[in-house]
Amino acid sequence: MSKEKIKINQEFYDIMPLEYRELVEEGTYGKENRGWKDVGESKELIEEHSLCAGCPESIAFRYVLACLPAPEDTIMVGSTGCTSLVFPHVAVHNIHSLFGNQNAVASGLKRALSFRFPDKIKDVVVLAGDGATVDIGLDMTLQSWFRQEKFTTICFDNELYANTGGQSSGLMQKGFVAKMAPAGKKFDKVPLPEIAKSSGCHYVVKMTVSKPNRVEKAIREAILVAREIGPTYIQLYTPCILEIGKQMMEGLQEMRDSEGPNKRFEFEEYVSDEARAYLDTVNPKKKKRKKAIVTK
Amino acid sequence: MYAVAEVIDDLCVANKGCRLCIMYCPEANTILFDKEKKVAVVVEPRCKGCELCVVVCSAAKHNAIELVHR
Repeated sequence: MSKEKIKINQEFYDIMPLEYRELVEEGTYGKENRGWKDVGESKELIEEHSLCAGCPESIAFRYVLACLPAPEDTIMVGSTGCTSLVFPHVAVHNIHSLFGNQNAVASGLKRALSFRFPDKIKDVVVLAGDGATVDIGLDMTLQSWFRQEKFTTICFDNELYANTGGQSSGLMQKGFVAKMAPAGKKFDKVPLPEIAKSSGCHYVVKMTVSKPNRVEKAIREAILVAREIGPTYIQLYTPCILEIGKQMMEGLQEMRDSEGPNKRFEFEEYVSDEARAYLDTVNPKKKKRKKAIVTK
Repeated sequence: MYAVAEVIDDLCVANKGCRLCIMYCPEANTILFDKEKKVAVVVEPRCKGCELCVVVCSAAKHNAIELVHR
């Protein structure tokens, strides 16, 4: 699919909504080397979402959608939570699954797509909150990694059930007191990136969304590895400013504070040997440039 | 009365490649880059007034965005 498929019939052009016309004219479908640098100068694939003012999750959403390598051939699978409020405003094919079911749905979808379109590249990207990925859907998440299903799992980790008022989640840090978890979290944060590594993921990243270029690299490489090698996992810290008692303009600082050395969201990347070899073949030019600089 | 962000054109350094406010705005398609004037512009009906752009612009000592009440 390319931009041709969303083109408007000339006779209906003037009655189509302005936003749709802009999407057809200035959207970045089919563009090579998409990235966060396109935002602000071309139409984004997300429009007027209903998340709170200053929500870091919406920053993450903007970056993820701006960095998908081929949005026209991508199907996103979402789950219940704040992310499911955004998907109706996203100009990428998406499926809303039952809570926790997202990796099972994505497995079936990926298999059906590779059967239906054997010659085309179709990306499947799972995007869900920490409750869906780690608590309720841990079974489905892990089983899809064990089976080596070729799709990317992105977890928006806000460390609690923010949408329902602040209940304790498996990814909550130890000792944290939330509105509906007054006794404090009793056990450590579930180390899902480590579990992902030992469960067969070929590309695992844990980070915040305070640096768009890093998010771009991670999303792009995770999807490329998922196309050819096997499952990939990205955990992004997107704090819920309401539930951790921050003002709306403090979300960015909260992410920066959490990613320092020895903090719980210090940047961590794991690439398996197989995936590294593949990525080197995909990005040979960049490698050569870097080597040239070093030898000088 | 709503608070929305407004860019002071004379102080904006988007022509030198600064994209801080555009990058960190949580709303999509809200702060855009005006290719003719080479400054950032705020699409007011979409702005929720979260002040993140003011924070990042002030932290970089450009001070080119302020909140106005409409």
